[in-house]
Amino acid sequence: MSPSELLKPTLYAAEGTAAVPDHPALHGGKCTCGHVFFPMQTYGCEVCGRNGDALQPLRLSGRGKLIATATVHIHAGKPPKPEVKPHEVPFTIGSIALEDGPTVRTLLVGVAGKALKPGTAMVATLVPVGTGAASILDLRFTPAS
Amino acid sequence: MAKTLKDLRPVYVVGAGWHRYQPLSETPYVMLGLPAIRGALADAGIAWTDVESTYFGTGLLGMAAGRAMLKHLGATGRPLVHIENASASGSAAFRHACIEIAAGIADVSLVIGVDKPGVVQRAFTKTGISNLADDAIVPFTHFALLTNEYANKHGVAPEDVALVAVKNHRNGALNPHAHRQQVRTLEEILGGRPVSGTLTALQCCPVGEGAAAVIVVSEDAIKRLGIDPAHAVRVTASAASSERAGAVGAADASITKDTIAEALAQAQIGPRQIDVMELHDAFTIEELQYVEAMGICKPGEAIHLLKEGAFDIGGQCAVSPSGGLIAMGHPIGPTGVGQIGELALQLRGDAGPRQHKGAKVGLAHMVGLGAVCYVHVLQRP
Ligand SMILES: [Zn+2]
Repeated sequence: MSPSELLKPTLYAAEGTAAVPDHPALHGGKCTCGHVFFPMQTYGCEVCGRNGDALQPLRLSGRGKLIATATVHIHAGKPPKPEVKPHEVPFTIGSIALEDGPTVRTLLVGVAGKALKPGTAMVATLVPVGTGAASILDLRFTPAS
Repeated sequence: MAKTLKDLRPVYVVGAGWHRYQPLSETPYVMLGLPAIRGALADAGIAWTDVESTYFGTGLLGMAAGRAMLKHLGATGRPLVHIENASASGSAAFRHACIEIAAGIADVSLVIGVDKPGVVQRAFTKTGISNLADDAIVPFTHFALLTNEYANKHGVAPEDVALVAVKNHRNGALNPHAHRQQVRTLEEILGGRPVSGTLTALQCCPVGEGAAAVIVVSEDAIKRLGIDPAHAVRVTASAASSERAGAVGAADASITKDTIAEALAQAQIGPRQIDVMELHDAFTIEELQYVEAMGICKPGEAIHLLKEGAFDIGGQCAVSPSGGLIAMGHPIGPTGVGQIGELALQLRGDAGPRQHKGAKVGLAHMVGLGAVCYVHVLQRP
């Protein structure tokens, strides 16, 4: 397998967590007050305001439950760099409540023809998004089964 | 202990003016704002030289728009401040003008909102913290997700949600200041261009250009300037908030719930006493969620009231008789000011073909990206 580059390595890793080893983990964080958040940052905690070392990296499992979906028909945004494919409409966005706490929103794959009921088990997956020879991977969510 | 607006000097809205909300044109912003201000001054029956301070709500014009416009009314040398608060810029400008009058620092203030669509990079994208799909999720998809969640939770069909747009387009067709002035059928709305999820183009607000102005004054000014008291509508509550950690559910609805509750407490009224309200209905789903959040009915029941005509002009409570953001339009800075102007007309009985008869209590509500929320209550004395 040729080496792959992650599009947003500060947000996720190809390796999963111990609990969910087969799906990419998300780079979240945890505050000493107990608040779990995504993405990781040390600016300050949204709940208690502690900053710096009070906020420690916490890898979140790539598993959660679907809250809502929307298939987007109009999109004007450009890709972050020329080596990355633009989002082609229609594409589907999902809100997913991660089992570790935070809610994330991103593109879904593998949902054509599937009933996307709230509560559907979802997992993270990496998909190729490059336009050229180099392999660039970005995170998506997909139904667990 | 901190005071509310009602504990201070009474504040009145005595004039309103607009430049029609419309698609982006060659008209310079100055020539959008000046007709609105001159209209508001004429409506109040006062002169520009009577105005002691100006609050200018704008989100997209860029730095220092105000003096370059106001000097064409005669450069009086009076204070001027610009207020940006995303979609709620005009509502914020209104609140701070009210506070100045209530505090006794001025007797007559102008609130003006002017905007033209322009390229402004949103600061929240420059925090240095990125997210998974910032580039793919714009506001209409945020509200499409909320629509899907609401529809699933309450068993509401997309064609029912679209009924909000039928009502608001019908109201907008009666408003000469509205961006969209055409009655639309449910079929036209559902059959329009798909945007995101079940939202179609006519269920999303148009963001164009325009201007709205209101004049706020003290009792002293009413007496001194000989303003007709029947032309004065009192501001009995001003509440504002921003998103907080740990709130339950969608942020827009949860801050709406808290802020409307605070405003109603200030005015010492209940939600069912509101005769007319202007809501932040940038997308159809919002009207249903906010009507429920303020306690007019239980979650999931707004659609039944809407179908019964409870929110029509002449119904139990006229919701967005101006046409709301969906039909009147959402030029950003003017939007919140225009809501106050519409309520002033309604409470004076001057709203012409869209008059909600006997309106005594009005409520204006705006949400801005971030999220922030503003609620004002206006009452006929
Ligand atoms: Zn904390």
